[in-house]
Amino acid sequence: MAVETDADMLVRVQEGNFSIDQELERVRARSTKIGGIAMFLGTARDHSKGHDVSSMAFEHYEGMAQKKLKEIRERALQDFDIIEALVLHRYGPIEIGENIVLIIVGAQHRADAFKACQWCIDELKKITPIWKMEYTPQGDVWVEEHP
Amino acid sequence: MFQVRLFGMLKTLVAGSNMLEMPLADGALVKDLVDSLKVEYPELGKLLEQKKVVVSVNQEIAHWETALVESDEIALLPPFAGGA
Repeated sequence: MAVETDADMLVRVQEGNFSIDQELERVRARSTKIGGIAMFLGTARDHSKGHDVSSMAFEHYEGMAQKKLKEIRERALQDFDIIEALVLHRYGPIEIGENIVLIIVGAQHRADAFKACQWCIDELKKITPIWKMEYTPQGDVWVEEHP
Repeated sequence: MFQVRLFGMLKTLVAGSNMLEMPLADGALVKDLVDSLKVEYPELGKLLEQKKVVVSVNQEIAHWETALVESDEIALLPPFAGGA
């Protein structure tokens, strides 16, 4: 499968869905030294903090959100023994069960890939200006934060 | 006038608007902006005071001593909720 492997494609905030196969290939194609790939996929669940959720929407700060995701990728490459990292987040309306966020980390060995992958999603939640609105039977709720 | 962008739940505190205009002089500090917001929009002011909402200037998190000019891109950011 031929995919674009530019660094710009490895950090994206986009409205539409993404293909996990294609994104995995994008990371794999970066180096033949990769021997382990860890992935985190965040999806939209129908329950949150004790209430039902019908659907949701994400808002992002255009420009700053991309900048922070880029910073996460660069810091992961610098601080962990990994070869490549991909960080994607969607915005706009998202239905239950759909993809929201994807982190893929390629390393020579699994331990570094797992560690960096977890760090990337934790850091994304801490520093990326993205907000979530949940639509519930009781009304629309801006989510303050998730652990 | 200084334009201040609003995101997420903050829009619900100012009648659904995603932008505020605040009269400040060039060289005013972020803390001066916060003081003005506290007067005009007490609920918003309280969240800023409690550091639940942070101020960004030109897409970087600012400190209360950061000086502002009218052309700066200023935004108020409620707690982030990205991820799943």
